[in-house]
Amino acid sequence: MTAAEKPSYRVIGTRPIRPDGVEKVTGKALFGADARPAGLVYGKVLRSPHAHARILSIDTRAAEAFPGVLAVATARDLPAASDEVQALGETAVNLKELSDNVLASDRVLYRGHAVAAVAAASVHVAEEAARRIRVEYEPLPVVLDVREAMLDDAPLLNERLLTRSMGKTISDRPSNVASKVQFVGGDVEKAFAEADAVVERHFTTKMVHQGYIEPQTATVQWNPDGEITVWATTQGAFACRGQLAEVLRRPASTIRVIPMEVGGGFGGKTPVYLEPVAAILSRKSGRPVMLTMSRSEVFEATGPTSGTSIHVKLAASGGRLTAAQLDLAYEAGAYPGSSVSAGAMTMLAPYDVENFKIDGYDVVVNKPKTAAYRAPGSPAAAFALEQAVDELARAIGADPLAFREASSSREGTRMVNGMPFPRIGHEECLRAAMESAHYRSPIEGPNRGRGVASGYWFNAGMQSSVTVAVNTDGTVNLVEGSSDLSGTRASLAMQLAESLGIEYSQVRVTVADTDSVGHNDVSGGSRTTFATGLAVHQAALDIQQQMRTRAAKLWGCAEDEVVYEAGSLRCTTDEAKTLTFAGMAAQSARTGGPINGRASLLARGAGGAFGTHIADVEVDPETGKVQVLRYTAVQDVGTAIHPAYVEGQIQGGAAQGIGWALNEEYYYDDDGRLANASFLDYRMPTALDLPAIDTVIVEVPNPGHPYGVRGAGEVPIVPPLAAIANAIADATGHRFSDLPISPRRIVETLHHLE
Amino acid sequence: MAEVWVPALLRPLCGGTARLQVEGATLGDVLRAVEARCPGFMERVVSEGALRPEIAVAIDGEAGSFPLFEPVGPASHVSILPAIGGG
Repeated sequence: MTAAEKPSYRVIGTRPIRPDGVEKVTGKALFGADARPAGLVYGKVLRSPHAHARILSIDTRAAEAFPGVLAVATARDLPAASDEVQALGETAVNLKELSDNVLASDRVLYRGHAVAAVAAASVHVAEEAARRIRVEYEPLPVVLDVREAMLDDAPLLNERLLTRSMGKTISDRPSNVASKVQFVGGDVEKAFAEADAVVERHFTTKMVHQGYIEPQTATVQWNPDGEITVWATTQGAFACRGQLAEVLRRPASTIRVIPMEVGGGFGGKTPVYLEPVAAILSRKSGRPVMLTMSRSEVFEATGPTSGTSIHVKLAASGGRLTAAQLDLAYEAGAYPGSSVSAGAMTMLAPYDVENFKIDGYDVVVNKPKTAAYRAPGSPAAAFALEQAVDELARAIGADPLAFREASSSREGTRMVNGMPFPRIGHEECLRAAMESAHYRSPIEGPNRGRGVASGYWFNAGMQSSVTVAVNTDGTVNLVEGSSDLSGTRASLAMQLAESLGIEYSQVRVTVADTDSVGHNDVSGGSRTTFATGLAVHQAALDIQQQMRTRAAKLWGCAEDEVVYEAGSLRCTTDEAKTLTFAGMAAQSARTGGPINGRASLLARGAGGAFGTHIADVEVDPETGKVQVLRYTAVQDVGTAIHPAYVEGQIQGGAAQGIGWALNEEYYYDDDGRLANASFLDYRMPTALDLPAIDTVIVEVPNPGHPYGVRGAGEVPIVPPLAAIANAIADATGHRFSDLPISPRRIVETLHHLE
Repeated sequence: MAEVWVPALLRPLCGGTARLQVEGATLGDVLRAVEARCPGFMERVVSEGALRPEIAVAIDGEAGSFPLFEPVGPASHVSILPAIGGG
């Protein structure tokens, strides 16, 4: 850990056990599928066998007549959704597309698209009845590849889709290109003409899934009085409620979402899929209904991240990066809304490049609608850019990390969207990487190589609300509404303990339902420890102020003469007058009643963050197997509130990125059938595939947070794709520009096979 | 005066200019000042009195879907950019 500017903390930086730890390791924690409201019945969704087809008719009579069936739902049961874009949580959502993705109305756009659902006393009965629903389809041509989908004669997913750009329609005929972004600066042509070296290469990545362990599940009880209760596995109970309210056209206040423990999300548990369907089935059956996806359904029908096609042309002059021309096309899946704009904006973020032209295209294809996945858009962009940077460094004979340092962004550097960076830590990451034992060690032996890469993610602020109740024994209850995906109960409790000057063990944390706490945006964008932490700190300041007011009255001194520090109150004009936090809490009933702190905020000052990774690999040229020999991830986290959980985030992100680099892909046949919709065939890395991932925590405090916190969860998945690819290029002498770099691809390339 | 970074796709409205210096104490004032020099700019960025859902603004490096009454300092940097989602 490097921490040149870090103040001294009492609780922050320690490694206590997380509040939910015991329940989770003893199997007592309740996840979504553990919900058991009285009278619970089960449902099953019928899904499209076609990747693209018009729905001509749906006949549910046989299913409704099947013994044991309690309800059948189709899109006809959903209120008509308006074709309008609305801000919902952190993203903008087209309500008709949201509704159509939940249950297709007139057209299915990907294999696995939900068409109907059945509720019955047992899931087996529901499944059997669902098979009896007769759907008449008119199959339509399928388009799966992002560049093919952009061609003039490509099959259209939506005949009314016109290309939008910055608030305007810019095409006069329909296409699959939903939107275009562009960023331009300097004089690209001149910079390329004057360059010492130029590298140009095309890259592709395949659609990949977050691969969370827990499948989507939803349990909904719709009471006759119109009150709806939802037991959800979600990254955001309020976002879930908001989407459900829009799809069902119900007032938000009538819907209570109870966030259950989440078995992994990584961005994928932000959209709703099952909740509206379970709600309809519950309304029609009068019973609470649980829907749970199989693993195949998770792969085929939830949101993975985009496959991409990225063209890169870079120039170097005077030992640094001087120009970039980039063209990015991202698959949005069935409906518009890929992460291409984030990819385009993050791609050059590690570097101060004066001359650039970046074009980005959001393209619909006959695959599931994409969802967020850790730093959405950035890993594929970094895969392309960081390989080209590596090649450029080699072309001018520079050390790859030194070349990056010479070109690095720093405070004041403008991003491609014109935003100047505040204090950031990319240079510090590069230096820590260069000084690491890993980078200083030799890489020797045949077929072995080393690669490095950097990556960036914005990190987010958004809205958080918390309340803190002070108990008369000096303990406190923190009630917050941010789904705990990664140990945030601990990181929030630690910030509260630090701000109040009390022990971590005195704080009990509850992640509350939507009736029990103010609005909280999703746990996403690496925002919770930062933004909800900011709310926790403000709630602590609120408590401090209330205690100072009461102490002043007790002591008969002026309020500004009462100081709160290190968990105690004292009067500056009379040193004999002191009270501990617990002492003041004990007197709350006699000094004005309960003491509750609260804060609701739109967090500002989310500090963007960088990481730099080093990978050593050995490639078996006969089998194509890549063994990762050693891996080090360096990351600026601002301040590590709980270093062990930060390290866990970094290691987890690196592991997912390594899997993305070497094995993971959505493998479709020509008809749009996903051929590897199981963990048996969708190859994710296991512990046996990975070395111990070393972490180097760099702490360049974020000036936008009282403790300097930057989000930590997303950056670590950005560099691994390119770090691994660069290491393989170093080991083999071949540059692999298409993911995954699977054994088959390596063997075919090294042995010149088709 | 605030400095406004005009996104590439809106620069044709501004005669190709990438940066403008304009007066304005709020985001709405600033955008209206840009509109005065780049006719058609406002409707690309604002709809029904608020930033379009697909648009974000960064003020001094802080990106978000700000209200039009958001204060802007005399030396602030304002960038118009596509909205961003997180994971």
